[in-house]
Amino acid sequence: MSSTSGSPSTPSPAVEARGDGSAPPSVRTEDLWKTYGEGETAVHAVQRVSITIERGEFVVLSGPSGSGKTTLVNLIGGLTDPSRGKVWVAGEEVGAMSERARARMRLEHIGFVFQAFNLLPVLSALENAEFPLMLRGVDRDTRRAAVRELFEEIGLGGLEDRRPGALSGGQQQRVAVARAVLGAPALVLADEPTANLDTSASDALLGVMELLNQERHVTFIFCTHDPFVMRRARRIIRLVDGHVERDAEKEPGDLPSWVLEPVGT
Amino acid sequence: MTERARVVVRIALRNVRRQARRSLLTASAMVLGIALLMFVRALEAGGHVMYVESAVRMGTGHVSLEHPEYAATRDLVDRIPAEYLELATEAISAATTPDELRAVFPRVTVGGLVQSASSSIPASVSGVDPAREAPISFLRESIVEGRFLEPGDRLEAIVGVGVAERLRVEPGSRLVLMAEDIEGEIESQLVLVTGIFRTGIPEVDRGVVQLPLETAREWLALGEDATSLSAVLTSDRRTGEIARDVRARLEREGVEPGAVAVRPWWEAMPDLHAGLQADTVQTYIMLLILLAIVALAVVNSVLMAVLNRTREFGVLRSLGLNRRSVGGMVIVEGSVLALLSGIAGMGLGLAVAFGVFRDGVDISFALGDGELAFAGAIVDPVIQPVLQTGDAIAIFLIVVAIGVLASLYPAWHATRIEPAEAMKTDD
Ligand SMILES: Nc1ncnc2c1ncn2[C@@H]1O[C@H](COP(=O)(O)OP(=O)(O)OP(=O)(O)O)[C@@H](O)[C@H]1O
Ligand SMILES: [Mg+2]
Repeated sequence: MSSTSGSPSTPSPAVEARGDGSAPPSVRTEDLWKTYGEGETAVHAVQRVSITIERGEFVVLSGPSGSGKTTLVNLIGGLTDPSRGKVWVAGEEVGAMSERARARMRLEHIGFVFQAFNLLPVLSALENAEFPLMLRGVDRDTRRAAVRELFEEIGLGGLEDRRPGALSGGQQQRVAVARAVLGAPALVLADEPTANLDTSASDALLGVMELLNQERHVTFIFCTHDPFVMRRARRIIRLVDGHVERDAEKEPGDLPSWVLEPVGT
Repeated sequence: MTERARVVVRIALRNVRRQARRSLLTASAMVLGIALLMFVRALEAGGHVMYVESAVRMGTGHVSLEHPEYAATRDLVDRIPAEYLELATEAISAATTPDELRAVFPRVTVGGLVQSASSSIPASVSGVDPAREAPISFLRESIVEGRFLEPGDRLEAIVGVGVAERLRVEPGSRLVLMAEDIEGEIESQLVLVTGIFRTGIPEVDRGVVQLPLETAREWLALGEDATSLSAVLTSDRRTGEIARDVRARLEREGVEPGAVAVRPWWEAMPDLHAGLQADTVQTYIMLLILLAIVALAVVNSVLMAVLNRTREFGVLRSLGLNRRSVGGMVIVEGSVLALLSGIAGMGLGLAVAFGVFRDGVDISFALGDGELAFAGAIVDPVIQPVLQTGDAIAIFLIVVAIGVLASLYPAWHATRIEPAEAMKTDD
């Protein structure tokens, strides 16, 4: 289930920085809770979640709508604070980080794809995609070349200079994925990355991600209902009412029947 | 500049452009505010220059020399002796360049009685040197009947319209002036009315008589002495400096400050000075109100921009921008807005003040009769705007600073946004 035993040829900076040979898990949570409201009306969006995701895993978070997938991903990325419990990313406890350290962690280690694609409206498709690289100080030619190459691969060639407002939903989504994976962050958190895509576009995106996963050991965590994505994952964590109902490894290509079963059966 | 700062600035600039209509509205509020500020300040400065100018030309001068007690005693014992007059005239020439000195003139001013065939009234009687005062004399410009004094005149005199009315005299009439001479004896002097002036200042029109200096000196047995020596300058800029210089020079020549007091006009005419200051305070209060309006416009605009983009700030944060950078972006937006508006407002204000109203603003519609006088100075109802460069720069800087300050709250607000929450909002 993990790829820690492999010898990564191009280790990501997060792991490289440790230099002690035993890379910490990409993500670990311990008795994680996120509760909205109080008393009678309290909603436990996430509860009792203790999971470990090793570096290089390709995991799907599944579960019915409202089961806490987005919340869990946000907790992992430090975009929201847990009500109880702890999160570690690459061995560092997110809750103990300063705001600046968190920002740096997101910049250097994490790529996000949000449920609503959230591109910056004043930037062109290319500028949106290269944004994290730009913040990391990658020089212009290098990052533009990387963006163009990836855009070709995922069917966005020629759309570089369009503003998000002039792109279709699926195109925006692909720009958002490009933004998240460019520069191969150690961890990619993707919330419904294929929701607006047809099979061939999904296939192209997943192909890119699988390549990054295999060659650069990028950890992927997907929130999805999409059987197409679940089929290609190697581990599925199913959430129900905020807690982990099932957590199982599987062979790529398989689609276990339980992932699609209605809650409670 | 770091890459991050460049990105932040670029996004901020594009946002200003993206929200062009909102930016334009804010900018126009600022532009109007600044334009009004500039215009009001230019007019105020113009008004003050005019007040001071008219007041010093009534006879006090920018720099005025008198025996320190004379203003209080009005006793000829407290006069300036001839040798000091000469030293003082030299000191003034030495302290000024020929360009900045418009006139230096001694005067003999006493309180006396003016008598005509029909009646008599108290008046301030001045012996003036028509040759030296002609270039600057305010009374000369205010003559409404007859003429001003001329070199060579002996018994000619000019009187205010009020004096003429009360004594029922006209050019050609005789008057008798009576005052104490240096010995304390009452002496009379016969004069012929040759001109009547109307300044608009009631105290002057009702109570001033001028006759030739030499005649006054003989009448009061003053020899070559005088009660005052005044210097009118081309500009008020160096008045204080020149007064100090003249004082120092006289002291070096052995003239004690107890014998001759050298005063800039604001010391010689404290009422006028206080009046102008009160006027300035009023203007500043108005400026403050305008600045507050400008600040509100910027706060409102920038805050709206932040509230409308909550989601975007969430995204920026989740992509790894820290709070400081997000706040900085908002401040850059506010500052750019303020800067552009500041430049436009300055341009508009200057254009209005010095283009549209280049020939002055006629404020007579706002003034009643007799309201042209102000603490012994006179208002020309047409005010010439005057640019105070320092003021213009200060206003510009203040407005831009306000723009920056006004974006602090929205910036703070932007940094408070929790990324996960921000991305749930739909704006
Ligand atoms: N700010 C909030 N206040 C109150 N309840 C919230 C808040 N945010 C989320 N929730 C609740 O938490 C639960 C989990 O929400 P979450 O968005 O994580 O679900 P999800 O699994 O991502 O659903 P979907 O598949 O529809 O995206 C939901 O019941 C939701 O209503
Ligand atoms: Mg969700």
